[in-house]
Amino acid sequence: MENSTEDYRIQSFDLDTQVLLKTALKDPGSVNLEKVSNIIVDQSLKDQVFSKEAGRICYTIVQAEAKQSNGNVFRRNLLNRLQQEFKGREETRGRSLQEWVCYVTFICNIFDYLKVNNMPMVALVHPVYDCLIRLAQPDALMNEEEVDCLVLQLHRIGEQLEKVNGQRMDELFFLLRDGFLLQEGLSSMARLLLLEILEFRAGGWMLSSTAHKYYYSEIAD
Amino acid sequence: MSEWTRSRRRDAPSGQYDDRSSGPSRWSHCRKRGVDGSLRANREAEGDDRENGSYRHADNRHASFTTPESAGPVSRCGRQADWGSQVEDDEMRRDVHRDMQRYRRRILGAEVTQRERKTSSGSSGSCDSREGDNMETDEAVLLRRQKQINYGKNTLAYDRYIKEVPKHMRQPGVHPKTPNKFRKYSRRSWDQQIKLWKVKLHAWDPPTEDSQDKVLDNIEELGLDDVMDIELDFPTLSDSQDAPASVTAHSLSLEGEDCLGTPVKLQKTEDPESA
Repeated sequence: MENSTEDYRIQSFDLDTQVLLKTALKDPGSVNLEKVSNIIVDQSLKDQVFSKEAGRICYTIVQAEAKQSNGNVFRRNLLNRLQQEFKGREETRGRSLQEWVCYVTFICNIFDYLKVNNMPMVALVHPVYDCLIRLAQPDALMNEEEVDCLVLQLHRIGEQLEKVNGQRMDELFFLLRDGFLLQEGLSSMARLLLLEILEFRAGGWMLSSTAHKYYYSEIAD
Repeated sequence: MSEWTRSRRRDAPSGQYDDRSSGPSRWSHCRKRGVDGSLRANREAEGDDRENGSYRHADNRHASFTTPESAGPVSRCGRQADWGSQVEDDEMRRDVHRDMQRYRRRILGAEVTQRERKTSSGSSGSCDSREGDNMETDEAVLLRRQKQINYGKNTLAYDRYIKEVPKHMRQPGVHPKTPNKFRKYSRRSWDQQIKLWKVKLHAWDPPTEDSQDKVLDNIEELGLDDVMDIELDFPTLSDSQDAPASVTAHSLSLEGEDCLGTPVKLQKTEDPESA
C-alpha cells in the first residue's frame, strides 16, 4: 500500500493525532471514527494546504471502513459535520475569509474524491453550487482569495458538476461573465482568473494549447 | 435541523442512539452495529454496565429491538434531512435498482426454460409471464424491504450462518432463506416473513456464557399475545404456496417455514400494522 504519511499530509498534526489517523487508515474499526472525522474537518478549516488534499485521506478511510465492516460511520459523520458547517457558512465568511475559503475547498475536494457507486454524491451537488455561486457574487469577486478559490474548484470539479446539473453551471457562469465584464474595481489578477475559467469551460473544460501558453508560459524577456 | 442537534448530542457519552443500540437485550447483543451504524464492539462494556430494563418500551420490549421498519415516521423523516443519510439512501436506491435488473434477467431466463418445458408437455403457457407481472417495482416498498433485510443481515448470527452453511448446502424449510423482496406480498405477509426469517437466524447466535439466563429471559418475554399473533398471521403465508411451479426456483420455500419447529426461538416481535 502506498499510504505513506506524506500522501495524506498528516505531518502537521500532533503525534497522538497522527497515530490516530494512521490507525484509522489501517484498522478503522478500532478507533472512534466520529472523532477522526471531526479532526479532519477541523484541520481542513484551518489549513488551506490540507483542505486541498483532505479528500484523499477521507476516501481511504471510507474504503477501509466499508471493506472491514461494511460500515459508513465515518462518511456519515463527515457529511453531517460538513452540513453543519454549511448552515453557518455566511457567519464563517463574515468571521474569517480564510476559514470560508478552506471550507469551500474542502467540500469540493470531498465531492471530488468520495463517490457512491462511481457517481458524485447527489446530496452535495446543490451545496457545492451554493458555495461556488456565493463566491461569484460581486462582494466576493473583490477578494482575490475567493476568486482564486472559485477558479481552482472549477478547474477540478467543474466538468463533473456540469454533468450532474448543467443549469446551475449556466447560472454560475452568467455571474462570472457579468463580473468579468461589468464589475468595477476588479483587480486585473481577478479578471485574468475569470477570463481563464471562461475560456476553460468554453473549450469543454480544457484550455487550448495557445490559451495555455498565454496563461501559463513565462514571459519571454 | 433536529438531526444536527441530535448528532451533537451524540458527542456526549450517553447519546440517545448509543443508549438504544447498546442495551443488553438478547436481540441487540448479537447486532454488529447499532441503529446509527456504529460498530457495537466499541460500546460493549458500556452496555453491560447498564441496568436491565432501563431502556424499555412501555410494553416491556427492549428499545433496541425496534427495527428500522417500525422506527416510526418521525425518526425516518428526521434522518433523511441530513447529508449522511441522504447519501446512504442514494446508495441503497442504486443497489436496489441494480438488483432489480439482475432479477429481471433471471426471470427472463427462467421463463424461457419454462416455456420450452411447457411446450413439450403440451400444457398452455398462459401463466408464462406471471412472475414478471408479480414483480414488486415500487421503489418505496423495495427500499423499505431492503432496510429490513439489511437489518437482519447486520447480525453476528447471519455472519456465522453464511460461514457455517455454504449456499449449496442450504435446504428449503430447514435453513433460513432471505425473503424475496421482488415478489408481491401484502405488507403483513412480508413483515411476517421477515419475522420468521430473523427467528430462524437466531439459531446461529454466538454462544454466550450466560446463554442459560437469556433463554429464561426469552421464555419470560414470550407472552400469549405473541403466540396468538403468529397463529393469526400464519394463514397469510399460504398466498405464496399456490404460486405456479415455474417459479419454484425463485420462490421462498415457505412450506417448511413452520414456526412450531423453533418454539424456543420465538421472540416478542414488532407488529407495525397494529402498533
